[in-house]
Amino acid sequence: MRRIFEKAVKWLLTASGFVTSIVILLIIGFLFTEGAGLFKEKVIEEGYVLALNRENNVKELTAAQIKAIFDEDVTNWKEFGGPDMRIEPFRLEDADKLFTEEELGGQYENAGSLIASLIEAHPGMVAFVPESMIPKGANLNFIEDRSISPKEVFAGSEWFPTATPAPLFGMWPLLAGTLWVSLFAILFALPFGISIAVYMSEVASERVRGFLKPVIELLNGIPSVVYGFFGLIVIVPLLQQVFGLPVGESGLAGSIVLAIMALPTIVTVAEDAMRSCPRSLREASLALGATQWQTVYRVVIPSSMSGIASGVVLGIGRAVGETMAVLMVTGNAAAVPSSILEPLRTIPATIAAELGEAPAGGAHYQSLFLLGVILFFITFFINLCVEYISSRNKAKNS
Amino acid sequence: MAIETFPKGYGARKRRSQKTAFGIFRGLSLFIVLVLFAILGFIIYRGAGVIDWTFLTEAPSDGMTSGGIFPAIIGTLLLMAGSAIVAFPVGIMSGIYMNEYASKSGWAVKFIRLMTNNLSGVPSIVFGLFGMALFVKYLGFGDSILAGSLTLGLLSLPLVIRTTEEALKDIPAGIREGSLALGASKLQTIWKVVLPMGMPRIITGLILSLGRVSGETAPILFTCAAYFFPQLPSSIFDQCMALPYHLYVISTSGTDIEAQQPIAYGTALVLIIIVLVINLLAGVLRKYFENRLKLK
Amino acid sequence: MNRKPFIFLAIATLFFNSVAQAQRIKGSDTLLPLTQELAEEYLAEHPEAEIIVTGGGSGVGIAALMENTTDIAMASRSIKFGEKMKFAEEGLKAVEVTVAYDALAVVVHPSNPVSRLTREQLEAIFRGKITNWKEVGGEDRKIVVYSRETSSGTYEFFKESVLENKNYMSSILSMPATGAIIQSVRQTKGAIGYIGLAYLNRYVKALAVSYDGGVHYAEPSVENAVNGSYPIVRPLYYYYDSGKEAEVSPFISYVISPKGQESVLSQGFVPVTEEETRR
Repeated sequence: MRRIFEKAVKWLLTASGFVTSIVILLIIGFLFTEGAGLFKEKVIEEGYVLALNRENNVKELTAAQIKAIFDEDVTNWKEFGGPDMRIEPFRLEDADKLFTEEELGGQYENAGSLIASLIEAHPGMVAFVPESMIPKGANLNFIEDRSISPKEVFAGSEWFPTATPAPLFGMWPLLAGTLWVSLFAILFALPFGISIAVYMSEVASERVRGFLKPVIELLNGIPSVVYGFFGLIVIVPLLQQVFGLPVGESGLAGSIVLAIMALPTIVTVAEDAMRSCPRSLREASLALGATQWQTVYRVVIPSSMSGIASGVVLGIGRAVGETMAVLMVTGNAAAVPSSILEPLRTIPATIAAELGEAPAGGAHYQSLFLLGVILFFITFFINLCVEYISSRNKAKNS
Repeated sequence: MAIETFPKGYGARKRRSQKTAFGIFRGLSLFIVLVLFAILGFIIYRGAGVIDWTFLTEAPSDGMTSGGIFPAIIGTLLLMAGSAIVAFPVGIMSGIYMNEYASKSGWAVKFIRLMTNNLSGVPSIVFGLFGMALFVKYLGFGDSILAGSLTLGLLSLPLVIRTTEEALKDIPAGIREGSLALGASKLQTIWKVVLPMGMPRIITGLILSLGRVSGETAPILFTCAAYFFPQLPSSIFDQCMALPYHLYVISTSGTDIEAQQPIAYGTALVLIIIVLVINLLAGVLRKYFENRLKLK
Repeated sequence: MNRKPFIFLAIATLFFNSVAQAQRIKGSDTLLPLTQELAEEYLAEHPEAEIIVTGGGSGVGIAALMENTTDIAMASRSIKFGEKMKFAEEGLKAVEVTVAYDALAVVVHPSNPVSRLTREQLEAIFRGKITNWKEVGGEDRKIVVYSRETSSGTYEFFKESVLENKNYMSSILSMPATGAIIQSVRQTKGAIGYIGLAYLNRYVKALAVSYDGGVHYAEPSVENAVNGSYPIVRPLYYYYDSGKEAEVSPFISYVISPKGQESVLSQGFVPVTEEETRR
């Protein structure tokens, strides 16, 4: 009885040991199944077709081309390999302007045939209408619909997830924004982080350290939404005034807030590494007549380099995944940033801001899960880097 | 080996460069302390006047421009409790397994540690997505305290595991061997000897993980948080308001931003007070237990 | 040992309570403050009732209605074709109630000398074709364009009405909520943005808008929205499943009652008349 009980407890403990692994697998599984669904979705909005006149021989259009047509940025078919004709985009909403209510019928029952004959009369017309509306056997051409391709998604530079007729899911601006703001955050945080770590581990007295440690812990403990609120109320207007920027919500505001948030991680990990630098090394250096400072930067810092590197990488991880503070201060403009003073949009902020509005199960919803997958793998990769750095360090020390 | 001869004045230069370098370090450290105090000071200065008894005990009213944040405080406390119920048992058991059962150099420990570290690096918004997909949609809990607690629990799990593991690691092997030599079983040793000794540090870690949970917004955005729910939730399938989410909505939406701003400052201050109290509590407990151990 | 039944009882109560759940309202952030106010008043009259109001957006509200995680969905756009099809698949029928109208005001920094724009000018500004205020008769200053998040009902309606369904420029600043737009426009000299009439305050300046090429300009106001001279006006909806008529009708009838509509007006929205509410 007793033995069985002990066995059972052992199994229970073993099982709970693997809970984190199971959670990781579940995260990958759920995010992937939702995210991968994006590539099964069609380019053109579900239930709709793009109908053309018989004389128009254009067969395929990319989502970006469709957007250009309906935004009236491209006005001639020959740019897409068609005949030399002016493009006349038509949306269902335009039906009210062209036909009277009586013509359309109370339940829009005549709309389909009216639109079909309209397209037949206008050779350059492209109509965005529900598939169910087009009468059977209508004498029309249709743009061939294909699935969304990974290339459009990962290399596309336009993020218009709700554009009609064809949403654009170019994730490059979001990825670039995330990396850009994190990079600058680390550049800001690094000098502070290293200095504080050195100061705490090498210079400060026990009392000063006893004061600084809780300060750093507190910085780590302040909720990100409080940082966001502070950034929105204080940092954004301040930057606008100091630098005379046209916009205060910028990558700069985001990276300053992120730098404060990533700082504790860098400090804690780097300080731990420096403190665990063997006493004998220090003493040897001091005995050779080196000053304390020379010992620090010739002996302590090089020997704890891997710990410092881990801290920096973990700090990057923290910055990349941060959501609320960034959402509140970066302005969220989905354009590839060319300077840090411009507004930009990050992956976490996009998920937080848009998931609420995306119809569940649709292409937009799935694209946000795909962003989640990307984010997950960025941080996964970062953690593997940390793991690699510290394992190499262990090997070196032993 | 060449013997360097130092030019004259080298010693003074050495001292000067040390002075400058350490001065810079001291200055930058001081700067960060000032930044922290600026943030805290600003929020305390603007928020202190807002916080009074009604603010803490009443529901929001007049379109969120007056009244208090009572439901949000209760909601945050409920979520903290819920996440503790989810994460503490599993996390502590997992930590015990890692330190007491699994072989130190075996693949299991390495693998679990890798996975736990990875999980702790997963961004909170990804937990939000995952919680929404699994708990809200797949398991059909809907937006609820249950779904929010589970999501937050998973988020704090790595922290709980790590603190447990580290607390147990520092207990000398001799103590375990002593207990085993007296005829106690392995489980009895863990239950009666190892856990009680590790408890102080485990508890400190648990408290800090609660602090993290109290401030998270992204994971509850799509799993739990309600904009307005003046009554208190009556079951774990209800949604609830929560302080961080309340601060977010109140500082970005609402028809009368001007009238809502004091409430936003007040909410931010309450959040910060929770964090402060938790950090202080953890610090005090750590000191207390350390002293007690020393006395023993 | 007699603690066990007690715990069991407690758990049972938790589950039992969930049957008689509070009325859940979820969706559009535009309707959020209004619904919150209305719920507050309704609760004052019916203290035994329970209401939870949650934002998230029109899309979330309608999706939640399908999954039965909300009883009423608030929406600042009408239900989409695809969503309607999904409802039909589930065998549900969404009932639409217009609860108010909302006029969208185009706002700029108070110091901006420009006080009126035509729809064509607005289109060019929001599409990035006009980038400096001097092109529309203002100072030589870069235009900073603020918009709502890509899929909010407000974003879509503004796109439909002002941009005639064309897309915004990609470098537009998107704000998570209307309050954030006001905050930013107030701080930024070259800013332009759009907000619900209800949000209009003295810290931002609303522009008069012309939809007939500059012949008639109209200021955004409740009167101008009611008499039809202000063009950017949209309906706001509640959706519910026809099977839940009995549960949701007390609150909805309060909302569309004259008393409820008085609050609609006082919150800065445009009230609906009885016959307009259901189509």
